[in-house]
Amino acid sequence: MFNKLNRYSLVLVVLALLLTMVVTVSAQDGMTICFGFQDLETEFWVAGHKAITETLRGQGIEVLEYNANENPDRQLEQVRECIAQGVDGIIIIPQDGDSAVTIIGEAQAADIPIAVFNRPPNDRSKGITVVADNVSATEQAVEFIAQKALAKWEATGTPIKPLIVVGALQDTNAIGRREGFFNVINRYNEKYPGMFAEPIEVASEWDAATALANLEAAITANPDVDFLYTSSDFLFPTIRSVLEPRGKWVPMGDKNHVLMAGLDGDATACMLIEQGYVDATGVQNLFYEAELTMNRLLQAIEEGDTQPNEVLLDPGFALTAGNFIWQSDDMWGCKLYREGFLDQ
Amino acid sequence: MNVSILKTNRSAANGRTNITQLLLNNSTLILFVAVFLIFGLSSPKLFEGNNLVNSLINIIKQASFTGIIAVGMTFVLLTGGIDLSVGSNMYLSSVVAGLLMRQQGFEVLPALLAALVTGTLVGAFNAVCVVKLKIVPFMVTLGTLVVARGIGTFLTDSKQIDFPQRMLDFGQIHVTFGAIQIQIVPIIAFFIIIALAYIILTRTPVGRQVYAVGNDIEVAKKAGINADRVTAMVYIVSGFCAALAGFILIAQIGRLDRSFAEGKEFDAIAAAVLGGTSLFGGVGNVLGTVIGALLIQMVQYMLQFNNVNLYIQPMVRAAIIFIAVFFDSLREANLAKLKRRFIRPVES
Repeated sequence: MFNKLNRYSLVLVVLALLLTMVVTVSAQDGMTICFGFQDLETEFWVAGHKAITETLRGQGIEVLEYNANENPDRQLEQVRECIAQGVDGIIIIPQDGDSAVTIIGEAQAADIPIAVFNRPPNDRSKGITVVADNVSATEQAVEFIAQKALAKWEATGTPIKPLIVVGALQDTNAIGRREGFFNVINRYNEKYPGMFAEPIEVASEWDAATALANLEAAITANPDVDFLYTSSDFLFPTIRSVLEPRGKWVPMGDKNHVLMAGLDGDATACMLIEQGYVDATGVQNLFYEAELTMNRLLQAIEEGDTQPNEVLLDPGFALTAGNFIWQSDDMWGCKLYREGFLDQ
Repeated sequence: MNVSILKTNRSAANGRTNITQLLLNNSTLILFVAVFLIFGLSSPKLFEGNNLVNSLINIIKQASFTGIIAVGMTFVLLTGGIDLSVGSNMYLSSVVAGLLMRQQGFEVLPALLAALVTGTLVGAFNAVCVVKLKIVPFMVTLGTLVVARGIGTFLTDSKQIDFPQRMLDFGQIHVTFGAIQIQIVPIIAFFIIIALAYIILTRTPVGRQVYAVGNDIEVAKKAGINADRVTAMVYIVSGFCAALAGFILIAQIGRLDRSFAEGKEFDAIAAAVLGGTSLFGGVGNVLGTVIGALLIQMVQYMLQFNNVNLYIQPMVRAAIIFIAVFFDSLREANLAKLKRRFIRPVES
């Protein structure tokens, strides 16, 4: 009788162990990642969202998507919901650097690894932060048009009049781009005194209507602007509507051509470089950034590291009129452009 | 004696009072001119070549977007209501126009018509909720603000819409006078809206009914005014104006994203209030609102024209608007005092 009971007990214990193993294995297979983003306003975010979700799902990982519609408080609530559901990891595109800090703190307090994609928190010491090196990407693009400006200055002796369209001043990306622009201007002015006149700064607050109004004012006051950098490619249509009536929206080779560079690497910039209206754009290597984000987060989950803290930089590159033929395939915007994104 | 001395004193007092009253009644306009002169004197560039004329044209053009919705908002404020949905309405009606142009190949004018219908329907929805369901305007339009932007986001999947080139060409239609080029679409739309609104409010029974409802709705009803119809009309007008402003703004920038026109309702309210429209109804006029919209835009324009440091710009802008509102409150207090002083008729 006792032996019989022991045998049953042994079978039950073995069954229980097997069941536990099955549950554990299925839990690993069914890894869940929470992906919280703000609105996919521009092509960049659309492409980034697609790269992340499709790659994760391709690996058999369940992705819970949350759109916070540009509301940082809502995103915090959504992350709390993810935490309550016991997700394995979190990826966010925050609304701003401040809200990112709060959300990272919330996730880490719950021992869930978190990664921030492209829009860095103001305090980068916590969480995985994948961010484009805005300063470097801007410098590469502005350097290209500065070299052309140097040739023009040497030929004419007239100082080049630079203008920068600045993004929202509370956005660290915008600050980095502004810094990159001024680094190049100052470097050239040190080496070639008097080459650049005092730069004109135009506020856009990442809003096309604001950019339009301010750019019109700036160009009316300074009709001789011949060097323009926009902190985001999405403003090129707005810039066109200001320059075109003044006869300054003309392709390279025309004497009225304004040397122009942007940043992001979107489909419109690709088209405009191809057509000769824009000279260069700093490219955020979107696919590389998405891969970095996912790989580092999945690594942390596998290693059981609940509080990974690391900053991963994408140095970016410049797509220019000079390297367009062989490098445009590397730019995400050119892929969209060739897929007919602008024809939709 | 003394009757003639009394008369002289009174007439001098009347003269001073009239001047004071005139100055107070036009405080926003005076501030507008003062700010323009101060900025102009600090920037000699303004008086070079055609810069002065070009700048005035630019200011009017840029103020037209906010000005049109502010005129619509003035109608609503005059009845004692408020329309917080104008920014979202601008977005939704432009989304509809954009999708029809991109996906159905609509030309500009049919797309404009579709946008106007959409905006008017949003206004009509607000009107039904306020008039028939008796929901407070603040709550109704706050709800519409969220819902309209939500519908737009749903229709676009949060993605931007790049309008076809023909839309930008429409926005770039211009006339040329020598070296001066004027993009006429926003300016003509603005002037038509101002003229229509001015005529309706000052020259028609409907206009008088709007003021009457805003002054005292119960008295207006006793006087035989159909207050519900008047209230419904002002929300429809506001919706129509929002759609028109959104469309002509898009014709300038060519691209629509989810944050398009976000917060525009506050610009419209600020313009109307700066122009002397009361948030409590019954007081205000279209021309004041236009001056308010021009003042806000002119401050922004001149700050950028003078290349003022980007970090200082918001502070200067806020300070000037604060001064304008301060003068407005002084005006209200003084006008009330003057009215009290002349309760009894002056001796003849």
